[in-house]
Amino acid sequence: MLRAGPLAVLAAGLGALALLGLLNMMLGSITLSPAEVWSGLTSQSDPFARSVVWQIRWPRFVDGILVGASLATAGALLQGVTRNPLADPAILGITAAAGLASSIAIVVDPQVPQWGVALSCAAGGLAGAGVLFFVAWRGQVSPVRLALAGVALSAFFGAAIVGLLSSSRTFLQTSLGFLAGGLYGSEWRELRAALPYLVPAFLGATLLGGRLNVLALGEDVAAGLGVLTDRTRLLVLAVAGLLTAGAVSIAGLVGFVGLVCPHLARFTVGTDNRLVIPAAALYGAILVTGADLAARLVIRPSEIPMGIITAGIGAPFLLYLVKSRG
Amino acid sequence: MKLTTHDLALAYDGRLVIDGVSFEIDAGEMVAIVGPNGSGKSTLLRGLSRLQKPVRGRVLLGETDIRHMSTREVARTLAILPQSPDAGNDLTVRELAWRGRYPHQGLLQRPGRADYEAVEWALAAADVETLAERTLGSLSGGERQRAWIALALAQQPKVLLLDEPTSFLDIQHQVEVMHLLRRLNHEGMTVVAVLHDLPLAGRFADRAIAINRGKVEMDGPPARVFEPGALERVFNVPMIVLADPVTGLPIPLPAPDPHLCAMAPGR
Repeated sequence: MLRAGPLAVLAAGLGALALLGLLNMMLGSITLSPAEVWSGLTSQSDPFARSVVWQIRWPRFVDGILVGASLATAGALLQGVTRNPLADPAILGITAAAGLASSIAIVVDPQVPQWGVALSCAAGGLAGAGVLFFVAWRGQVSPVRLALAGVALSAFFGAAIVGLLSSSRTFLQTSLGFLAGGLYGSEWRELRAALPYLVPAFLGATLLGGRLNVLALGEDVAAGLGVLTDRTRLLVLAVAGLLTAGAVSIAGLVGFVGLVCPHLARFTVGTDNRLVIPAAALYGAILVTGADLAARLVIRPSEIPMGIITAGIGAPFLLYLVKSRG
Repeated sequence: MKLTTHDLALAYDGRLVIDGVSFEIDAGEMVAIVGPNGSGKSTLLRGLSRLQKPVRGRVLLGETDIRHMSTREVARTLAILPQSPDAGNDLTVRELAWRGRYPHQGLLQRPGRADYEAVEWALAAADVETLAERTLGSLSGGERQRAWIALALAQQPKVLLLDEPTSFLDIQHQVEVMHLLRRLNHEGMTVVAVLHDLPLAGRFADRAIAINRGKVEMDGPPARVFEPGALERVFNVPMIVLADPVTGLPIPLPAPDPHLCAMAPGR
């Protein structure tokens, strides 16, 4: 255990995020010096730097923070409520359910406004969470069975997404970016459309930590301590569904963030979900903004979908978890 | 605090396993619930603690029907320790005890002075202060059972329900747990425990309630309930009852079948 005080974790995490913020402003298809970033941020003197920083990189960075924090928080909630170290919105099929709903919206109306995409993602995410509630009923399902059910669901939804997108005339670079997950071209508009439900979902997640702690003690103990167990489970899954939906509506199908970050959080702040959830959110923001930076540097001046980077980190981690914990 | 049932009926898996149970447990009593496997003892305990909705009848905590109280309100007055919980092995004993404060804390769970004092008292009362920083997974069976009792005590209950708190424990740990319950009872706590071990029930309980086929078969002091005929009706096996040479308290045992006993010396 590498347990640190929560404040130390917070300070280190925010420091790392600030550094990533600076790098995200500087690096991309064109490079800005720190001085250019500063003048772009604070003055009108350099219109080019100003537009790169304010219109492209800063919103994309904020989108990355939100996507990472959402997915990691959803992962922490899912791992807590299922008492399953393999739980993750992508592994359990919630990501694909949200993605399918937004694909349907896009195919039905190619001109669908962003708020329509965000809303359909929310509907899909909630439906995916609902399916999971029945699969993981009463939390008595073994880790492997839950993960297998998730594999089946995400394969099914994923196939439906590819089928839908490839049969429509819009299957192009944008669809690839959506399927692999990334922040290419992300602006404020995606953020604004998802915020109305992401904000309450984050608020809910921070308030659910204490109840998750009690739920982790088992059905009867939790009920004896005054937790309404089924209602709590449903609430946690709904919040996780909304968080996942927000991330999908901004960045498409990004995997593994929700798997890795809660483990890092528990490794550093212990088992108290009231600390694990915010710590996981912070790590998620760092992971996604870092992965997004890497995604646009590896084949500069072009870029790869960010989901490839998170999968490159997350998939080996999943294998390690399966091998070490079953 | 008094715990009363009126004509309580409870189902398990759609089958009526408790059917018309009425009793009144007074504040400060120490009660053992005994009965054969499948007689509905655990279900009864779940019904008493609002973990399970009655099919019929009522449970009163003090003067209030527990169905008219929220789960948290019930949890502030009554604690239940289910049979050998196995979760939370990565928690320390102190962290476990803190979770007992859940029903007393508000939405933000900001701990106050009363919470600290309750946790420290619970750790001391359950005799796990020296184990407070150890994780549950690293404890022996008896230590772990005391840690779970500390969780229940941190709720500061007036009524403590326990489902077979001594099963899977060796004799030393059984006695430790029963002594702990007796001490809590002396301090005024109402204690109701499902016990399989009749000699332990005979030694430590003020009152025994024998449950058979979903009904109360006998109810009274162990000296009266633990009578061979009554015990045979409940457990469906011939019984004898010895008297403890020190206290005179009843020690029920299955009656020996001479053909199926170990060879006695000189036979």
